[in-house]
Amino acid sequence: MMDGLRSNAVFGQAALEHIDALYGYAMTLTRDSTRAEDLLQETYMRATRAANRPDSDSNLKGWMFVIMRNAWLNQVRHENAGPLFVDLDSTESTGNPQDNPHVVYLRKLERKQVREAIESLPDAYREIVILRDIEGFSYQEIATVLDCPAGTVMSRLGRARGRLKKMLSAWQTKAHVRAV
Amino acid sequence: LTLYLDNELRGVELAKVEAHLTECESCAAILARELGFLKAVRECGPLHIASPALREKIERLLNEGRVSVDAAQSPRTARTDVRFRWVVAAAAVLLVLLLPVVIWRVATQTDSPSNTKPSSFALMAADTHLRITRGQLPLETESASPQQISDWFSNKVPFSVKLPNYQESSGQEKLYTLEGARLVGFQNEYAAYVGYRMKQRPISLVITSDSVAKPSGGEEIASRGLRFHYNAIDGLKVITWSDRGLTYALVSDLEERGQQSCIVCHAGTKDRDFIEPLKPR
Repeated sequence: MMDGLRSNAVFGQAALEHIDALYGYAMTLTRDSTRAEDLLQETYMRATRAANRPDSDSNLKGWMFVIMRNAWLNQVRHENAGPLFVDLDSTESTGNPQDNPHVVYLRKLERKQVREAIESLPDAYREIVILRDIEGFSYQEIATVLDCPAGTVMSRLGRARGRLKKMLSAWQTKAHVRAV
Repeated sequence: LTLYLDNELRGVELAKVEAHLTECESCAAILARELGFLKAVRECGPLHIASPALREKIERLLNEGRVSVDAAQSPRTARTDVRFRWVVAAAAVLLVLLLPVVIWRVATQTDSPSNTKPSSFALMAADTHLRITRGQLPLETESASPQQISDWFSNKVPFSVKLPNYQESSGQEKLYTLEGARLVGFQNEYAAYVGYRMKQRPISLVITSDSVAKPSGGEEIASRGLRFHYNAIDGLKVITWSDRGLTYALVSDLEERGQQSCIVCHAGTKDRDFIEPLKPR
């Protein structure tokens, strides 16, 4: 795979594997499905034309996230558009069919609450939680995507998780009161 | 614990945390709680999935891009092939003619320091920089005053640290801020660590006696009678040099060779020609 990404066919195949992650990030940045689709296409277009493709597949995902973020920042600069708020996608996983239906229901409910909590975080916090906890990037990779020091990544992630915990514990308290 | 949960610890640090967790019940309880929280967050993804129609559109785009790029490249490739064959043939002839000279140069320059591995001092400076930026190694004193930091080091290290105070005296716009300092161990001695920040990016300056560390390795650049050694370590730019009995390491993730970091001590216009030779040609 080391030299493989130099070939357009192999690059296209490898790039396509990250489509869901990139679309999720596009939604995080734009908060609008139409704009996210446009941003995704713009990202793939730029990646196809780029001369500095990474040599290995392991760097490809981060590289494409950097392209997407730069493309988005360019758009925002030109249009001076603020982020828009949209509802979450209803692409729920149904979980293990052998699970107790009540457990499945509770898990689904919890997942929905967590998603809503993430979506209601301020932009910078939401972005860092997505990059670390949903996409699994390391601190150094996030620092490259966000073009900031790794120390900033760590402190921002700590604050974002703190905020998220607060929101979720408030929800859990409410749910507990309702159950009683 | 956060670094442990995020899989950011390696080697000794990882082993230390793991050993502690087996002994400390309260930390193990905190870990379990944090793991539960992170599991809930991590399992809620993916938040969005590209629709089949969108996937198809992207696939088409990739195929079209491939065709147009290949089509645009093919005539050029044919021309390039012919030219390339001539270049290769010429290079081969040249190589045969120059081979004895190359062998003689390599044999006579085996102790040349350029392009060799970084010195242990440069590696220690890069590692310290990383640990400081990750929050694993706190500053022992925090101050933006060069005088206060210089005073803090007196009687702590076996040499005198005098940080320049150029910004305050020049009245120029502040290009960097001094953040603080700490001691770091190197070769059974204490070295001085000073932390700066420029354009939100951290810069580390590590100082020790030149009897403890000699700059070596990497790319060697001469400027104003000093010899600088430049290394790229873990994506960081490390410049090491010796001057008047002390050895310095300057670490940053700034552009090119990180030569901009030199302004923490050389901010004046008169120093521009000092920094200039460090820029890549």
